[in-house]
Amino acid sequence: MIRVLRGMDWILLLAIISLAALGLVMLYAAVHQGDTGLWQKQFTFWGIGFAAFLVLCFVQLRLLGLISWPFYALALLLLILVPLVGDVQMGARRWLNLGIVNLQPSELMKWALMLILASWFATREARSMQDIGVALLLAVVPAALIVNQPDLGTTLVLLFAATSLLIAAGLPWRWFGLAVIAAIGSLPVLWHFMHDYQKQRVLTLLDPQSDPLGAGYHVIQSTIAIGSGGLMGKGFLQGTQGRLHFLPEQHTDFIFAVLAEEGGFIAVVILLLLYTVLITRMLVISNRAHSRFGSLLCIGVASIFMLYITVNIGMVSGIFPVVGLPLPFISYGGSAMVTMLAALGLVMRVSIESRDRIPWQRPGSSLA
Amino acid sequence: MKELESRQRFDMRMLFFYAAAPILLGLLAMHVLQLQWLEHEKLALQADHNRLNIVPVLPVRGEIVDRQGKGLAVNRIAYQVQLIPERVKDLDATLTMLSGMLHWNPAKLAYIDKRIKHSRPDRPVLLDDKLQWLQVSPIAARLHHMPGVDVEAGSYRQYPYAGLTSHLVGYLSLARKTDTDDGYLANEFIGRTGVERSYESLLHGSLGYQQEEVDAHGRRISVSKRTPPAMGQQLRLALDVEVQQAASDALGNRTGSVVVLDVHSGEVITLLSKPGYDTNRFITGLESEQWQEWLNNIEKPLLNRATQAAYPPASTFKVVTGLAGLKVGSHLANGHTTCPGYLELADRNLRCWKRTGHGQVSLEYAVIQSCDVYFYKLADQIGMAAISDAALEWGLGEKTGIDLPPEARGTIPTQRPYMMAAMKNNSSKRDKWFRGETMITAIGQGTLTATPLQMARLAASVANGGRVLKPLLLAGDEPVLMHQAEVDPKHLKMIQAAMRGVVEKPYGTAHRALADAAWTVAGKTGTAQVIKMSQDDEKAGYTADDISRRHKDHAWFIGYAPYENPQVAIAVFVEHGGHGGSDAAPVAAAVIKVLAAQQDRQQESSQ
Repeated sequence: MIRVLRGMDWILLLAIISLAALGLVMLYAAVHQGDTGLWQKQFTFWGIGFAAFLVLCFVQLRLLGLISWPFYALALLLLILVPLVGDVQMGARRWLNLGIVNLQPSELMKWALMLILASWFATREARSMQDIGVALLLAVVPAALIVNQPDLGTTLVLLFAATSLLIAAGLPWRWFGLAVIAAIGSLPVLWHFMHDYQKQRVLTLLDPQSDPLGAGYHVIQSTIAIGSGGLMGKGFLQGTQGRLHFLPEQHTDFIFAVLAEEGGFIAVVILLLLYTVLITRMLVISNRAHSRFGSLLCIGVASIFMLYITVNIGMVSGIFPVVGLPLPFISYGGSAMVTMLAALGLVMRVSIESRDRIPWQRPGSSLA
Repeated sequence: MKELESRQRFDMRMLFFYAAAPILLGLLAMHVLQLQWLEHEKLALQADHNRLNIVPVLPVRGEIVDRQGKGLAVNRIAYQVQLIPERVKDLDATLTMLSGMLHWNPAKLAYIDKRIKHSRPDRPVLLDDKLQWLQVSPIAARLHHMPGVDVEAGSYRQYPYAGLTSHLVGYLSLARKTDTDDGYLANEFIGRTGVERSYESLLHGSLGYQQEEVDAHGRRISVSKRTPPAMGQQLRLALDVEVQQAASDALGNRTGSVVVLDVHSGEVITLLSKPGYDTNRFITGLESEQWQEWLNNIEKPLLNRATQAAYPPASTFKVVTGLAGLKVGSHLANGHTTCPGYLELADRNLRCWKRTGHGQVSLEYAVIQSCDVYFYKLADQIGMAAISDAALEWGLGEKTGIDLPPEARGTIPTQRPYMMAAMKNNSSKRDKWFRGETMITAIGQGTLTATPLQMARLAASVANGGRVLKPLLLAGDEPVLMHQAEVDPKHLKMIQAAMRGVVEKPYGTAHRALADAAWTVAGKTGTAQVIKMSQDDEKAGYTADDISRRHKDHAWFIGYAPYENPQVAIAVFVEHGGHGGSDAAPVAAAVIKVLAAQQDRQQESSQ
């Protein structure tokens, strides 16, 4: 217990709590005129997530390494079940009804893939065709299942997390370059397989004014919200875009617009600084980690956070297509909140286990 | 050594990750800064646009009342039930609930269901209109059980005396393309006929504006600035609905027109045209079948017979011929002639209505007995020019100037058109104006026509000393003198006395109908021969009943009362009504009865 407390990275914890507080305040601004019950729910989610975070601080990393394979297998199985028995919500079949909770297997798969790749590369580098091939297979199979649901956002997360871990694990740069060229080359093929609404989103991004009341509406309205906030913002609860329901999904994916409108650039800078602290802190923990598994785990979590933040803000401010990725700790949503806090629990555990120990492969390190 | 290599490589890769986070987030921050700093003004303006709608507020239209203050065109509060489809949780349940409260029949329900399915889900769909508070109050009380349903208050125009005053008051309809080009809004109602049209600018009022804060659904959140609309002016007409009603009752289901004017001011106390039509039907949006029915009805209900139709005035015109004779100093006008019942002309005989003849007749006797032969001879003496001059002088052949366009002018034949026609086609038949035509004109037949309003004004001018006034629709307006007839008071007195004789003398044509009237009446009857049914009528497929009716003569009566102290002038025209004395004059008696009763009431209450 004392070891856990002493090993905690307090800066990371402070960043998490600050972001959670900021998130709850912004959520209040987004929903205060409508369903304020959402705010209480989010508070509950936060509590559950934080509990998960604390529990994971006590789970030994060795154990995680052991369960990574069965966990991945379970996630894959559920993912296969979705098209067969899943519920359709908002036009996509993503959910599994498990009686008490609606589970989104793709959400589980993100973390399962991250765990298994970290585990896979804990004892080897991404230098041989064979080792890379296994990692690619582990990523591409679930990605193909998820893109079919259809869920472009999560597919993106899987591929991005896999790529980050491959780079961290030592993927030769020229291979990475080849992969990027191959990816660009495959874009027309991907376009061919995209659903109409996904194509529409890409087209809308290129020219939002082409369909101002249809697909371009979200982006135009959120851009107006952000821009009208100015440097100083309109003041807490004074945003007109959000308050008057011009902003769609303002409590979930588009909550950044509420923050930028009411808090102005000042709030944006504060938010981005908090995120920078959060991610940098994860990278510091990764660098200090006692095991290579721990290092890769931290990089995996950090890159997923990075992707969420970049894509979400980019989408709300009109530089990325609309893909449903939440803004960590700010957007409303139970699954995302709980899983992200759980993931940070893993990172914190790495920090705890690495305390007073020499990082892996540093002179004097006991671990290979 | 290999192991250190992998750590070194990892450390290198770490640098990449350390750098990536701030760079990516920095780029995002710069993008947001661009929006919030460089594009702030533009986007803030757009946000304002988003938020504030300038919405016009329709003015309440001025009401129209009669001289007693009875509402002729009034605004009624009505409620509408609307529904915004996308906000409805359970459409079927909601419609069932509304249907139960508003008593929709299955056809209406099906129609509404269809309209909802064809409408944009984010815009209100009108479900029911013109509802009273008692009908909508149960809905209003249950609105929170029916998300998406809304009850809106508004007003609509109603004409309590729609059929009685249809031509005078007129009606409204929704703005058309030409109106919106003139600056009206698409949901505004505009006067199309009658007073509603002539005084549109007074009645309409002016638009107000309000700034509304709206959400993305167009829902009004709050109202900020507000320029209230200016309500239209209330108009008090000179019209007296009670008198108009009496005239209408007296006409019964006959076709015709009754006009009552104030002889001194020219105020229009009654302006009735029968049949009328239900102007209330226009407000809800007239069905085209109804409109076609009105258009094609042989009774021509849409025609304002008082102002838009000119008929041969028949013997009532003898007043003008008599005045013309006196003015030119014809010795016949001051002397006598003999009526054998006909007048022999070169090619034909002109008959007097009394086949047996009137014997020796003076002007007074000729007016009282309406002797045709006397006026044939008088006309022959004074000539057509004297007659047409007098007609113009007394206000015939010109628009009265009443604010009810379009108005018929009527025709006064002069020799000129015939001579023109003769020069053109060299026709031997029509190359000269026949003596007989002057004579026919002198008794108000032939091509001479006048509107009932013109004839009423003629009676008023005779009563008030030759002042030809503009008929005034609004109570209390300053009298407008169109022109003054140049008449010797002595001559006028003679005509007035003759007209009094028409009623007073036992042998007068209106004696039976008006001798016992509430006021002393002076007047003149007329019975206009109707031209033979034309071939057009046959083609139009009128039935035998119609034809026999359409063969009947028009009945006229013009006059004023009280004789000693004239107040009102009356013209009664009954289309295919029969004889002036027996069919038109009783209508005037009914009107005078009501006017006299009103005056008695006033005197009682002032005592």
